[in-house]
Amino acid sequence: MNATVPDAQVGPRPALVSWFDHHRRAAFQSFLRLWREPIQSLVTCLAVGVALALPAALWALLQNVEAVSGSVQTAARFTLLLDQNTPFEVATQLAAELEGKANIDDVETVDRADALKDFAYGIGLNELMDNLDENPLPHLLHLHPDKNLSSAELDALFISLSTLESVDQVVFDTQWQARLGAAIATARRLTAGVGVLMVLGAALILGNTIRLGIEARREEITVIKLIGGGDGFARRPLLYSGLWSGAVGGLLGAVLVALLFGFLAGPADELFTLYGSDQTVSGLGFKGAFGLTVAGGLAGLVSAWSTAFIHLRRIQPR
Amino acid sequence: MISFERVSKRFERHDALRDVSLEIAREEMVFLTGHSGAGKSTMLRLLMLLDRATSGRLVVNGKDVATIRGRQVARYRQDFGFVFQDHQLLFDRSIFDNVALPLDIAGFHPRDVGRRVRAALDKVGLLGRESANPAVLSGGEQQRVGIARAVVARPKVLVADEPTGNLDPGLSAEIMALFEAFHRVGVTVIVASHDLALISRLRHRIITLKEGRLVGGVGR
Repeated sequence: MNATVPDAQVGPRPALVSWFDHHRRAAFQSFLRLWREPIQSLVTCLAVGVALALPAALWALLQNVEAVSGSVQTAARFTLLLDQNTPFEVATQLAAELEGKANIDDVETVDRADALKDFAYGIGLNELMDNLDENPLPHLLHLHPDKNLSSAELDALFISLSTLESVDQVVFDTQWQARLGAAIATARRLTAGVGVLMVLGAALILGNTIRLGIEARREEITVIKLIGGGDGFARRPLLYSGLWSGAVGGLLGAVLVALLFGFLAGPADELFTLYGSDQTVSGLGFKGAFGLTVAGGLAGLVSAWSTAFIHLRRIQPR
Repeated sequence: MISFERVSKRFERHDALRDVSLEIAREEMVFLTGHSGAGKSTMLRLLMLLDRATSGRLVVNGKDVATIRGRQVARYRQDFGFVFQDHQLLFDRSIFDNVALPLDIAGFHPRDVGRRVRAALDKVGLLGRESANPAVLSGGEQQRVGIARAVVARPKVLVADEPTGNLDPGLSAEIMALFEAFHRVGVTVIVASHDLALISRLRHRIITLKEGRLVGGVGR
């Protein structure tokens, strides 16, 4: 005790060293505490996981839709309905002419008889053909524009195609693409909003758990304060239990999303194929799962800190 | 080193301490006595900064404790070893971990913690029980664990509030002998106790309080 006796060997270590050491031990012991009450911990972490899984799944789904909508856009197609009385030779000649243009990739000519067959098959009425005296369809040209055209250039192409001789009508549906774009933008907002709400929900779940933890450790906290421990010392294990619960919750959320996407994969891949995309559905991936774990951990940390801040100062030795 | 200068403490309806002036010197051992409600605990609570004086000054190590606020309170308490009547042990951990707590707070290296905890437990005669849970100990043994925890960080001042309140006379004498042993190695010891028969046998200053006033033992 005497200050003149060199006692550094057995005295407290420098503040920073012991601070790190206590962090290390608090981290380890909080993790052990999670394992010591596995059911309770699992319920808490799962609640966090479910809360985080919903926005994460929405986000991943949106990534898929955007990727597919990109490939659908490049697969834009004009359909040229020729004048009713245009002979097939004129149609093939026009097709050859158009194919030579720089802004057009390729042109496919469809005989009016085939067009009727396709149409009847498409709507499931094969007998339709027998009931028609005359084929009401003209010859068709399917025209794929250059993939790099902007929507303004596509519009210009649309107009120039419409003015061609022997072309009755040009069909190019850009509206559904505009709708898809708007729908994606809406879904993105929705995902962000739901994400914020769910992270808040996860933080509240964890905050409540931490509060219960503080109540359970009231005695310990009182003794710590009585014998000279500060709020920081008492808070440290709580912060780590928030961090671990949140991170494990985030990881469980990533597992849930992976299961969900596994469940979705079959029909979703089919849907993509139907939209003319060769893409397969992809989940969060390693990066996304890692991000979700980190997000869960952060939410847990923030929630533990604020809960501890509110409740710890209320516990004072009597 | 501890000086009460005209200290009063008023709770809502009554005066717990009235105009108390008192000096306790470094390395002294004193007893604080009086009936329950005389103000013994209030004096110790003021010393531990669990309460603040209504008027007057309490100076510890030349510093007015009224200036010690917020985070400094915890640091201030680390200079003391406290022994409580109800020992305040934690039953969710071993005896070793209970005694080690002040060293963890102060930031000792785990190697030094082990050495010091065993030394402290040795002094109170409980070496070898370190891995047991304090709940399995008798009342006297629990109090000795509490004393080991109070002295393990080698505080300059040891403060005990009715440390023998729940013990039979034989055990009480043992506990007091322990405090005397710490006093002999240079620790300032302040023991609040109403067990006059016991403390009057020991030759230390006895400070007597009655209804919040000092009635004896002011001078040395």
